[in-house]
Amino acid sequence: MKLSLSSAKKWTVIAAALTILLVAILASQLLFSQTSAGYEATSWAMGSYVQQTLYGGEEEDTATKASSAITELENLISWRVADSDTEKLNSAAGTDWLELDERTINVLEQALSVAETTDGAYDPTILPISALWNFDSDEPTLPEQEEITSLLPYVGYEFLRINTEENTASLRKHGNGVDLGGIGKGAACDTALEIYQESGIDGGIIAVGGSVGVYGSKPDGSAWRISVRDPEGKAEDGLGVISLQEGCVSTSGSYEKTFSQDGVTYHHLLDAKTGYPAESGLVSVTVVHESGAVSDALATACFVLGIEDSLPVLKEFGASALFIDEEHHITIAGELEFEQISTSYTVSRQSL
Amino acid sequence: MSSRFPLFRKRDLLVFVLAAVLAGAGFLSWMPQNGAPTAVIEQNGEEVRRITLSSITQPETLVLEGEISVTILLEPGQVSILHSDCPDQICVHTGALTRPGQSAVCLPARVAVRIVGEISSGIDGMTG
Repeated sequence: MKLSLSSAKKWTVIAAALTILLVAILASQLLFSQTSAGYEATSWAMGSYVQQTLYGGEEEDTATKASSAITELENLISWRVADSDTEKLNSAAGTDWLELDERTINVLEQALSVAETTDGAYDPTILPISALWNFDSDEPTLPEQEEITSLLPYVGYEFLRINTEENTASLRKHGNGVDLGGIGKGAACDTALEIYQESGIDGGIIAVGGSVGVYGSKPDGSAWRISVRDPEGKAEDGLGVISLQEGCVSTSGSYEKTFSQDGVTYHHLLDAKTGYPAESGLVSVTVVHESGAVSDALATACFVLGIEDSLPVLKEFGASALFIDEEHHITIAGELEFEQISTSYTVSRQSL
Repeated sequence: MSSRFPLFRKRDLLVFVLAAVLAGAGFLSWMPQNGAPTAVIEQNGEEVRRITLSSITQPETLVLEGEISVTILLEPGQVSILHSDCPDQICVHTGALTRPGQSAVCLPARVAVRIVGEISSGIDGMTG
């Protein structure tokens, strides 16, 4: 085939144009893959929305593994799940020691450690009282004072005994019961972070409800930025941002699960000493610790204890915290990188 | 350049312009999926809607029917849970979401709204 000079030139121009098009598309793909938003996976577990964002490596496979491992953990430690370790332990209360899964023993041990250090401000044996209030039901109601008084003697972390060598545990009295709701979400973060580490991905972040865990690094190498929600929901960008290189952060807030009766609002953070919602002048506590389980349990404990009594506890665990009180004041205790965004709160720092 | 076959004719220039426009369009159509803030709406773990916030030109409500019904308001540049039949109303109080990393969740209804997209200037997660 013989092309005229003008026809040959036409094809050259078209070829050149197509090349430019191709290069532009490839360049845009390359540009955006380098600053990619990461692989995202969401699911529901532990009565919460679970969000994972993973970077670099076998992201999808890792997210799936982490999600299954969290569901397995839930099926071991949730007292609501039939045949879970916790349900078996509660059913056997007052009888014999039970051999349990190592993962359950691990969570129980962390729960007991926080309970002992906080003298029961966080107490995993709160079930008789928490089941009575039943904040997870559709229509929780205020229990009778007599019911609370009659059940309080069955709450006490000293009733829970654990043998970590034999992976066994027991509850001393019939009527005792374990509720790991205050530590489960944090423990779920720990589970995911272990899987991220094993799978060799570059970085990942997991959020199980208000507990967040971070592992490794993001593509740009910057610190992970965790937004702290405004308890009043007014500041759409949140109160501010906590920067984390590693570890976990958990929040306990009195706004999370509530109901109102006769003009009084009741929240779910129960004081195991009184059997009623804790009144410490706080609206929420956010705790940062290397362990998700510990950060979760400490957030509850610190809410019950109030700022002053929390300080020695935070020091003992090497944790840091952000307290929000009813006076719109934020107290930051310990080493915590916090960038304030909302200006409707005042901020002060407290060393440990 | 009065040759019978000049190096470039107007028609050739047109082809180049066309290619450049196509490349630009390809670039732009690719970008929103990866960079621009995009609202992802899920119910019972299923994605029901995914929309680039900048592409919303007028307010629109999306009603997710269920045991607990939830109404979502899509507005230019933002999305919020407008109404929920749930008892705690945490999702409604979360307010408007505008930036990647933000989310509003209605646990009782198992409805989640989150913003995905390029997060280098935003946040990676939320607590509280």
